[in-house]
Amino acid sequence: MWFFRSPEVVFGDDSLSYLGSLEIRRAVIVTDRFLKDSEPVNLVVSNLPEGAERMVVADVPPEPTYREMTASLDRIRSFEPDWFIAVGGGSSIDTAKVLFALYERPDISVYDITPLVRLNLRRKSRLAAVPTTSGTGSECSWAAVVSVEGERRKHELASKEILPDVAILDPRMVVGLPREQTRNTAVDAVVHAVEAYTSTWRNPFSDALAEKALQLITPNLPVVLAEPGNIASREAVHIGASMAGLAFSNSQIGLAHALGHALGAYFKLPHGKCVGLFLPYVVSYNYQAVKERYDRLNTIFPDKVRAEGFTETLKNYFREIGQPLTLEEAGVGRGEFTQSLEELVRLASEDTGVTMNARDASTEDIRRVLWEASGWRGDGA
Amino acid sequence: MPKFPSREWVEEYSKKLNENPAYRDAGRTWEGDILFVVEKDQAFPKTVYIYLDLYHGECRRAEYYESAEQLPKAAYTYRGPYTNWRRLINREIDPIQGILTGKFKLEGPMMQIMRYTRAAKEMVNTATMVNTEF
Repeated sequence: MWFFRSPEVVFGDDSLSYLGSLEIRRAVIVTDRFLKDSEPVNLVVSNLPEGAERMVVADVPPEPTYREMTASLDRIRSFEPDWFIAVGGGSSIDTAKVLFALYERPDISVYDITPLVRLNLRRKSRLAAVPTTSGTGSECSWAAVVSVEGERRKHELASKEILPDVAILDPRMVVGLPREQTRNTAVDAVVHAVEAYTSTWRNPFSDALAEKALQLITPNLPVVLAEPGNIASREAVHIGASMAGLAFSNSQIGLAHALGHALGAYFKLPHGKCVGLFLPYVVSYNYQAVKERYDRLNTIFPDKVRAEGFTETLKNYFREIGQPLTLEEAGVGRGEFTQSLEELVRLASEDTGVTMNARDASTEDIRRVLWEASGWRGDGA
Repeated sequence: MPKFPSREWVEEYSKKLNENPAYRDAGRTWEGDILFVVEKDQAFPKTVYIYLDLYHGECRRAEYYESAEQLPKAAYTYRGPYTNWRRLINREIDPIQGILTGKFKLEGPMMQIMRYTRAAKEMVNTATMVNTEF
């Protein structure tokens, strides 16, 4: 027995207008400080139903801690919203998920947001997500990532009850996304699709979504990077990223995410860049365990980059779009890498991504993959 | 061949845990005890308990109880009906999916346990190494 879970997904031209059809009386709009007075937030506000009151929470920093996420919780409780609307990337959407859960259940701790606890949410409010990046998949997932205060660690929260009720994929929200963020977030989506397709929890629903996600993203991402205003390609990447989000949310992520979480938390590097960096090495490590699956994915990538093996195809593709392939290329120095190595191994080995990876990975295996991805030769290489 | 659940099975399982390098690796920072509750159902007539004291990848103590009266307190409790335990040991149920689908229940501090899903998986893998009679 297993499940397929999804929000109601509204997509395409003018999809934000769907907000006007919802019964929204008092909306909390959760966004980050960079988007506060931006076109995406103004568009969301202008599409709210007539007479709807709003409160904008715009203090979400990148990769927030629990304290940063919940700084506005008292104000929100006084406002008594019936909807939370997240507008932003993964950090804003994850923050909205946490605020929604804690507004609904003032008696719980953020660490009660696990798949193992029944929360009984949605007694007072609903949750909508409007992504302004194409990649995190948070709008379609039941996970939220919190940076742990005072530690170089990220904590994954997950509950089917924090899955948004509605995800709105309006291409206008991503057309102005800067090149670097466009690449980093889309690479994250590629990794979501590949890891969902090979996770030990994979299933026919996640398979279909992962394949289609790669069909949409891989040819269109280079176009978007070359022509940022190309709406058709933007929309394809945007929809593909949400499909990849649905894919991993209904199966699981794998070792590239476990390593990427560790690296990103330790060195404060963008999440997509980190998980993408590890993917070719993880594919190489997993290859014999899921060879047929990787061979199938290899056929989906554009002819221009396709090699005989999937590892090389990924490297070719990432080279083409400017995604770093080693820690060295990502700007990590050899000294700081060797100094952090054991901590990275520990963080990655404690990440749930390891558990559902296509092949079991011991701490020694994790250490070896880290060395391979480093770009340097080490004791373990 | 030890029968599940029984004192002999618990002894054999504890021995296998301590011999399994994959479990030792996955649980190397784990400190805490866990109680497995095998609940009675149509295929098994009584509820029994397995207590494991696990520390840094080692099983320091393993006990089998047929009554709840003198059970040691454990940080975590993982419980489910006998038939689901049987399916778990036969690898027909994943230990974490088992919780998410309501076949098992886990009680205890949730924040810590989420860091040890790999150890949980290795504990089940180890159970499959016991030549078990049902």
